[in-house]
Amino acid sequence: MGGASRREARLGQMAGLDDTDRRLIELLRGDGRMAFRALADALGLTESAVRARVRQLESSGAMKVVAVADAEAVGYELLLVVGVEVDGRPALEVAEALARIEEVFSVSLVVGTHDIELLMVARDHEHLAELVTDRLVNIPGVRRILTGLAVDVLKNQPDWVPFDD
Amino acid sequence: MTKRRLDEVDRRILDHLVRDARTSNRRIAEVLGVTEGTVRARIRRMEDEGQIRITAVTNIRKLANPALAFIRVEVERGSHSRAVAEALARDPQIGFVGIMVGGFDILAITMVQSAEQLSAFLHANVHAIPGVRHVECSLGARFVKHDYRISRIVACGTTPERQNA
Repeated sequence: MGGASRREARLGQMAGLDDTDRRLIELLRGDGRMAFRALADALGLTESAVRARVRQLESSGAMKVVAVADAEAVGYELLLVVGVEVDGRPALEVAEALARIEEVFSVSLVVGTHDIELLMVARDHEHLAELVTDRLVNIPGVRRILTGLAVDVLKNQPDWVPFDD
Repeated sequence: MTKRRLDEVDRRILDHLVRDARTSNRRIAEVLGVTEGTVRARIRRMEDEGQIRITAVTNIRKLANPALAFIRVEVERGSHSRAVAEALARDPQIGFVGIMVGGFDILAITMVQSAEQLSAFLHANVHAIPGVRHVECSLGARFVKHDYRISRIVACGTTPERQNA
């Protein structure tokens, strides 16, 4: 319950949402395919009012209902986090080059231990070796990488993600 | 431990859901030439087995100064990585926890909105966990890519809303 209320606090920081919008988002976080009629009953609204709210939340770029596929179920056995140190080239250029690799699903410019943090998947060890030794380290500007392989993922619930409006 | 891979019908249903996660079962059934019951049962099975997750995500770009913090934790020799990782996973503010091999023991990812908030969070929520020896952190300055369509879906006690539903 603490998790839900803390997220509510963050939803409160989004401009233009009222309480009903926030409750609607929480319901859709729990079940993204909940029927419009069930949502209407839960919120005490008409079905058409709920449809209009969902459309408005999506078109304003505040919320999206998405289908997320499990990496393993679609054939990726390995999940890696790679910290990248950059030298001799703007970090943004290097990050954009890394982002073009399909298996790299998250790229952030960071400050701290590294210059770029990326998350990637690989089908198996052979594929991993190919991605890291043939592709990653050959991108100009990549000076050094620190690779960590996830042996067990205990939690992965990204409710907040960047997307373009 | 290993998840069932999606078959051809699952994948074709997933293709529709990736484009629009709220497309009706009837519409998907019409296009694929299967019954509505098949579509409903397949989606339910994929969700129950943790192969897909259909959920609302909110746009991190709508918050003030959002930044991902990548927290690498080294555990005291003789301590159990799993116990520390479980403590981190129970924290509702942390979105990702993985036990890793390669230079550090655990990776945790959280979202913060200032360096001050990160510093307070590390002190109170990470260093305070027994067994944590050393923490290194990278703070996100800019998102370059985040593909929310792929993830490692984990079934554990971290989605209270869903368990109540």
